[in-house]
Amino acid sequence: MKLAQLLALPATLISAVLAIPEYSEHLHLRPLPNGYLYAGFNFTASTSLSAYESQHFRYFPRSLGQILKHSGTRELHLRFALGRWDDESWGSRPRDGKREGGTGVEIWAWLDSGGGKPAVEERWSSLVNSLSGLFCASLNFIDGTKTTRPVLSFEPEGMHRGGGGGMELLHGTLPHEVVCTENLTPFLKLLPCKGKAGISSLLDGHKVFDANWQTMSIDVRPVCHVGEECRLEIQQTVDIVLDIERSMRPRNDPIPRPRPVEELECDESKSYHASDTCYPRRKEGEMAWSLSKIFGTPVRGSCHVADGDESHDISLEVSRDRAVEVLQGGSNETLVSHGQSQHVRAIRLSDTAKHTDISLPQQIIQEAPHQEQPPLYASRQITGFGQERGGMHTVLHNPHTYPQRIVYLESLPWFLRPYMHTLKVLSHPTTSHNQPATPVKPDKMFYTPALDRERGTHLELLLTIPAQSTVELTYDFDKAILRYTEYPPDANRGFDVAPAIIRVLPPNSNSTAGNEKTQDSYLRTTSLLLPLPTPDFSMPYNVIILTSTVIALGFGSIFNLLVRRFVLAEEVPRSAVAVRVAWVVGKVRGVVGGLKGRMRVGGEGGGGGGTVVGFGGAADVRGGMNGGSGGAEGRKER
Amino acid sequence: MALSARLLTLRNSPVLLKLPPYLSALCIVIGIAWLFILPLNEYSRQTYVSENAILPGQVHTYFGGSEHNVFRAYRQEVYQISQVSETDRLAALENVLREIGLKVAAQPYRFTVAGEDVEGANVYGLLRGPRADATEAMVLMAAWRNFEGEINYSGLALALTLARYFKRWSIWSKDIILLIPADSTYGPEAWVSAYHSTAPDITATRNVSSLPIKAGALQAAVALDYPVGPWGHRFDKLDILYDGINGALPNLDLLNTAVAVASGQMGIGCSIHSMLSHSDSYRDRLTTLAKGVVTQSAGQATGPHSAFVPYHVDAITLKTVGDAWHDEMSLGRTTESLFRSINNLLEHLHQSFFFYILLNANRFASIGNYLPAAMLLAGSFTVTALALWVQSGQVAVQSATKIGGTETRDVQPELEVAKIGDAVALVPAATTKPAEREMLLPAAVVLAVHLASFLPLYSLNSLHRQYLPTALQATTATSLLLPALTSTALTRRFKISKQQIQIMQSFSLLLLGTSLARLATLNFSLAFVVGVLASPLSFVRPLPGPTAALPTVLGKVGREYRYGLQVTIGLAATVLYTATSPPVVLYALCWYFSQDVGGLLLEMAKGWSVQGVYTSFVIWAVWWPAWVVGGIALFSGGGQR
Repeated sequence: MKLAQLLALPATLISAVLAIPEYSEHLHLRPLPNGYLYAGFNFTASTSLSAYESQHFRYFPRSLGQILKHSGTRELHLRFALGRWDDESWGSRPRDGKREGGTGVEIWAWLDSGGGKPAVEERWSSLVNSLSGLFCASLNFIDGTKTTRPVLSFEPEGMHRGGGGGMELLHGTLPHEVVCTENLTPFLKLLPCKGKAGISSLLDGHKVFDANWQTMSIDVRPVCHVGEECRLEIQQTVDIVLDIERSMRPRNDPIPRPRPVEELECDESKSYHASDTCYPRRKEGEMAWSLSKIFGTPVRGSCHVADGDESHDISLEVSRDRAVEVLQGGSNETLVSHGQSQHVRAIRLSDTAKHTDISLPQQIIQEAPHQEQPPLYASRQITGFGQERGGMHTVLHNPHTYPQRIVYLESLPWFLRPYMHTLKVLSHPTTSHNQPATPVKPDKMFYTPALDRERGTHLELLLTIPAQSTVELTYDFDKAILRYTEYPPDANRGFDVAPAIIRVLPPNSNSTAGNEKTQDSYLRTTSLLLPLPTPDFSMPYNVIILTSTVIALGFGSIFNLLVRRFVLAEEVPRSAVAVRVAWVVGKVRGVVGGLKGRMRVGGEGGGGGGTVVGFGGAADVRGGMNGGSGGAEGRKER
Repeated sequence: MALSARLLTLRNSPVLLKLPPYLSALCIVIGIAWLFILPLNEYSRQTYVSENAILPGQVHTYFGGSEHNVFRAYRQEVYQISQVSETDRLAALENVLREIGLKVAAQPYRFTVAGEDVEGANVYGLLRGPRADATEAMVLMAAWRNFEGEINYSGLALALTLARYFKRWSIWSKDIILLIPADSTYGPEAWVSAYHSTAPDITATRNVSSLPIKAGALQAAVALDYPVGPWGHRFDKLDILYDGINGALPNLDLLNTAVAVASGQMGIGCSIHSMLSHSDSYRDRLTTLAKGVVTQSAGQATGPHSAFVPYHVDAITLKTVGDAWHDEMSLGRTTESLFRSINNLLEHLHQSFFFYILLNANRFASIGNYLPAAMLLAGSFTVTALALWVQSGQVAVQSATKIGGTETRDVQPELEVAKIGDAVALVPAATTKPAEREMLLPAAVVLAVHLASFLPLYSLNSLHRQYLPTALQATTATSLLLPALTSTALTRRFKISKQQIQIMQSFSLLLLGTSLARLATLNFSLAFVVGVLASPLSFVRPLPGPTAALPTVLGKVGREYRYGLQVTIGLAATVLYTATSPPVVLYALCWYFSQDVGGLLLEMAKGWSVQGVYTSFVIWAVWWPAWVVGGIALFSGGGQR
């Protein structure tokens, strides 16, 4: 059942862009509450598999194609992400979270599994190293310790020959990687218009990386249509959420100085309102914005390069009452609602106009903006303090009236050592606080324990989150001590732990709740900072260590000498055990070797019987400290 | 082996056996004198910012202009909120935070201390750094009531204005948490402990609910304390409070940054321990040092920041003091610049010192310079303990013991003939002989006294507040009688010997010495203060009985006024001994700081049960047993033989 749905998934995605041209691009704009704007860029290019095999590329980027071919990659998903999606105020994630990555860089790919494990690892290494060079990212640091093989979390999106056999999924993350302009530039270079024309001309590093949330993705997969040759498709997306007010600041003066007193909007209903006292008024209505002000530039030209590309370039999801003006090459027109959907207005860039701009005035809209509730809220924190132990605490909250099945994936670095016996999954209903928490039994659990310096922990849980309830997942862990050369230069910052990936499975179709989704969706928690025990890499530390050692040695030996009592060897009463052992040893020696040598009673007796013995003979220690150097000579100093 | 052989011959030397008391006294004198040289230029250093990333005062601060109007409005708003009931107040505060655009949550808590319930609720808002990745956070704190119990009108209004101002910036690499605890001790404690745990356990004394919203690892916390009413009041200096629980200190870099920003960039003078006029003279430095040592040794919270320090979150409080021309905007700009500096941090604050004694806002003595003082004091006990141990192993030979006083001073040492092989030598006869040590009784006594110490520890920290002074009176009476009674019992019933008394004292002093040495690395001041107060215990020897010999130095006078002298010595020793007893010292402290005994005990009980302050443990379970054992030895009359 589930498998069938998943196989149907690519088909549904494709159906949206049926009769596919070889290249198309699309920008979706949607204002979010509290003065934010979501902008989702999508660039899709494809090439037939035969052309790909013969290395004939047109819109499909050649540089990437060659890498994929060389490394035997069947399907590739690469993500660069920064910031957080605020799902409490912004609602559900764009594209169901499918084109989104955890903070930093995330990559997963299906590789040819021919040649066994070493060959796959070789291909994986070749893939990440090549992509590292292509995207100016530290992808080459994805080695065995950062690679996992998830079982349930990902399914291939493409249609693969042989039903997906003969390939292997590998997944790697770099949570500490800071995504920046140097990653965006090569990303734009893959596009046919290289960010010079069409909607990609809006993508400017200053604005993209000033966003509150941004994610760039590259997905390559084979798609097949009935009666057509299979094609290799690349989808590049950039999803950003911009703070409208911040983005509209002029570029030459981006500093948010306090406004002049005259421009302050005060709440005059306050009793203390005066010329020098101003309680800031709550902002009302929708803010005014325009593409050129938000992105710093209007859309330059168009990028209609492929044949048969008749689709709209920009769609705008705003309320019906919102006035929208389109300024296209000097002509000014009002954009009206489009087609069947009341909320979406679409525009196709003119091939002749040099600039296209969209502007919306400030307006007070009575109708609350339509917002879809996210399938699940998730947060994950490290608890505890100190350098020895910690705990992981994940809270999953299901706001819906139906239970949801999820796959929870964690890939942990090896120096975080979880104790799986402490894993607790407790659920308590959100509606009533007094009910005790009930344990939730995972339906399935995949766990690959870590090997020091070789591989990280992989934990995958198939869980059912009851309706309208909160599930807390906790476990304890130890923090490993690294070798001193293994610490990075900023050792005291702590180490990043990759976000947990949560896949919300589509509910079974026989359950009858109304607005259920038929596709699965993904969400990711934030990444975490794990403070490890860090040696003090400074001089005073070494001095303290050395001095303490010297003092301990000196104190130990002097104290030992002062409190120990020395007696002559002859005065030591021999312990019964020692005598017995010596006797046995002597007997054995006599029998076996017939040696006539003198029996060294003291030495052997001491070793066997446990009497404390000095170098020069036996010296019994009575009432003294039996520590430090026991090598004092057994002479009576009187 | 040459060294050891030499040491072995040395250990029978009479000089070595007589040296320890002097050595011990020397340790104490040097230890105390050590603290007095610290304020000198040669032994202290100018502070400096060690972490390069901080760059204090390098940014231009823009807080000002129309923000002042907003600040005035928030101050009025806070005043209006202060007029409504507790629940309305929480709702109103949450509403203001929500309007600013923060994620808001509240955390109710309840503590039971000394039989009383303390309830309250913290309100906090999370400002997500627009481009941050939720791994790190910094805390801006403005307690509703400051440490003195005044409503923090301007501090809170300033924090709100700053939060609204910070919201517009996209530079934050860390999330900012605006925390408004209901008070300055319980609230921050409840919040920070819940921040670091999953679901805090509910116990008899604490019920802290978990936090619904969290950010990443806390990097630093700054509290604002500006309790000035709705019409404002200008200030002269910023008093920087930095002492954490149990004398733990925040990283010196945080303090230095605050001082550098306030005095260097904003021109606001900074003071430490409310030393408003600090002329940087020896006297002022010493006063600051003394205040620092007293505050640190108390180990109690000194402000809302204190609760954060044990969780390895560096925290300070900026408190406005005096009356001059600096206004709230200067404090706001200082805070802005301070947060920009903390925001620059790439790593957790670790570069600079965690152990220091401040002599001025910009002068400090580091651990290497001051630690020997406490270590020497602790060492004095160990020296005496070792000496007593050695003495206990050697009992005087009967013939050499002179009963009934020393008649002749120039006694010739008795000689004896020693033969080793063919060699014959005339050597002085030994005056002592090795003896087996009987350790069961001394160990049992020491153990029993330590176990008994949990009685005062428990009763003074768990009883209802109205019984606390009574409990201290009872403890005082018991403590003063206990040594004499126990020693009588030991001498009469168990016929304790001189050797056993020495061993008992040795054990007790050894424990005291090692405990203090270890404590000195955690809380220098507490170890030092307890070391000074307990230092007479090194010199406690059994008071001479009626038949005991008098020192020969007293000569003829001594013989004639023997009885009078003995009574005088005994009385003086007893008075000194009583004066240095833990309960009497507590009373003396209350008298000196003119504080109510009940109040002091309540503070100690609060610290112990809510914040885990271990000062009372050190007093009752480390110092008090040593003092009692000293008393047992003092009144034992020298034991049998």
